[in-house]
Amino acid sequence: MPTQTPVIEMRHVDKHYGPLHVLQDINLSVDKGEVVVLIGPSGSGKSTLCRTINRLETIDSGEILIEGEPLPQEGKQLAQMRAEIGMVFQSFNLFAHKTILDNVTLGPREVLKTPKDVAEREAMELLARVGVEAQAHKVPAQLSGGQQQRVAIARSLAMHPKAMLFDEPTSALDPEMINEVLEVMVELAREGMTMVVVTHEMNFARRVSNRVVFMADGQIVEEGTPDEFFDHPKSLRAKDFLDSIRGH
Amino acid sequence: MSAHTVSMRDALYEEPGPKTRRRTRIVTAVSLVLVAVGVGFVVRQFYITGQLDAKYWSFFLRPSTWLYIAGGFLGTLRVAAVAGAIALVLGILLMLARTSGVKPLAAIARVITDFFRGVPSLLLIYFFYLALPQYGLRISAFWMITLPVALAASGVLAEVFRAGVNAVPRGQTEAALSIGLTPGKTMIKIVLPQALRIVVPSLISQLVVVVKDTTVAYVVSYPDLMQNARVLITNNDALVQVYFVVAILYVLVNFAINQLSIYMARRSGNPIISRATENPT
Repeated sequence: MPTQTPVIEMRHVDKHYGPLHVLQDINLSVDKGEVVVLIGPSGSGKSTLCRTINRLETIDSGEILIEGEPLPQEGKQLAQMRAEIGMVFQSFNLFAHKTILDNVTLGPREVLKTPKDVAEREAMELLARVGVEAQAHKVPAQLSGGQQQRVAIARSLAMHPKAMLFDEPTSALDPEMINEVLEVMVELAREGMTMVVVTHEMNFARRVSNRVVFMADGQIVEEGTPDEFFDHPKSLRAKDFLDSIRGH
Repeated sequence: MSAHTVSMRDALYEEPGPKTRRRTRIVTAVSLVLVAVGVGFVVRQFYITGQLDAKYWSFFLRPSTWLYIAGGFLGTLRVAAVAGAIALVLGILLMLARTSGVKPLAAIARVITDFFRGVPSLLLIYFFYLALPQYGLRISAFWMITLPVALAASGVLAEVFRAGVNAVPRGQTEAALSIGLTPGKTMIKIVLPQALRIVVPSLISQLVVVVKDTTVAYVVSYPDLMQNARVLITNNDALVQVYFVVAILYVLVNFAINQLSIYMARRSGNPIISRATENPT
C-alpha cells in the first residue's frame, strides 16, 4: 500500500435521522485516481454517505478528511472545498433559468473568477467533450435527460475538481439514455479522475471501478475488487442482493 | 390566464358529453335572462328616481371636471407606484432576513412581517396621520398615505416571496452549493430569480390591492381619485354618477395591471419546467 494521503477519508462516521441510524461507523478511504462504487439496496445509506462528503448532509460524529484536511463546517472554507469536489445528482439539477452555457460557466465565473471569454471557451470545450455543444444556447428543459446529465457532468468538470461524486446519476434516465451518460463516466475514469459513484449499474461497477463497497442498513458490509465482490461475495447480505438483481 | 401555456385548469378540463352540453346551454340562457332582468331593474329605478336626468350628467361635458378627475387619477397612480415599489423592496428584504438562517434576524423579520400583514392599512394610516404628528414628526399627505399602504403590502409580499423561494426545488440550491457558491450567492443567483417568476401572478394581484388601498387617501386629504371624486360629488350633487365613472377608471387601471402581467409572463420567455425536479430517495 502506498502511503500517499487519500483524497477522501471517512473515520467512524455516524449519522441518525431521528431514530434511524442511517450511517453506522463508516470507515472509507478513496485514493487519488481510484473509482469506488457504492452499491446496496435502497435505504442502505449509500446516497447519504455520498452526500456527506461535500456536506450536503451533516454527520453526527466521526471525521471526514479531504486530502488529509478536516471537512470545513461552514463559510468560505466550506464553499471552497465544495468547489473542489464535483457532484452529479440523480435529478441533474441544472439551473432551470439559465442556458446550458451559463450553467457551465457560472461556477468558474462566480467562484474561480475566471474571465468571461476564458470560461466560455472552456465550457464549450467541455460541452463538446460530453457531446452537447450544439445545445449550448438552449435551456435545460429543452434537453433530454441524458443530455441534461451530461451537461451536469460538464458543469462539475468546469471547476477542475479533485474528485467527483455521482449520486445515482443514471437512475432518473430513460433506459436508452443510460449508456450515453455512462460512457462519459467511463472516459473520466480512464483519465484518472477520482470518483465515488452510487449506482445500480452493475456492468459499470464491474468494468470501471477499482473497488466495490457494499452497504446495507447504514453499514459497510463488505468491500473488495469488482471481481472478488461479484464472483465471490463474502457476506450473505451481498449474496442475497446480487441474486435479487440478477433475477434468480 | 395566458393562452399559450397549458394551465392547471386546461389540464383538469374534461370534454363535456351531450347531457352536460345541454345543461350548460340551459344554465347559460337562464343566467343571461337573470342578468338582463337585473340590469333592466336598475336602469328603471334610476329612471324613476331621476338619476338619468341630464342635470346629473351634464357636468361631465365640462373639461374642468375631467381635468379634476385626471388630477386625482394621477395622484392615485403616484401613490400606488411609489407604495408598490417600496413594498417590493421591503418585501424582498423581509423575506431574505426571514430565510437567512440567522435566528434573531429571522425572528425580527417574522414579527415585522406578521405585524404589517395583520394590521389593517387604515389603522396604519391613522398611526401616520394622527399619532406621528404628536411626536413632532411631520410628513406630507403623500407620505401619510403612501407609507402605510407600502408597509401593509410589504408584509404580504414578504410571504409571497417566501412561498416562491420555497417552491424552487431543493436540488437547485444543492447544485449551486456543490459548485462552491456561498449560501448568499446561491439565493441571489439561483433561487431568487426562479422564485420571482413563480410569484409574478401573486405579485400582480397584490399590486391591485395596493391600488385599491390608496382609496383611503381621503382620510389624510391627499388628492387621489377617490378624494377628488368626493369633492365632485359635493359640488355637483351627483353621487351615483361620479362613483360610476370612478369605478370604471379603477377597473381600467387594474385591467391594465393584469394585461401587463400577462405580457411580462410571456416575455420572461424561458420555459422552466424541468423534467425531474425533486430528489427521491
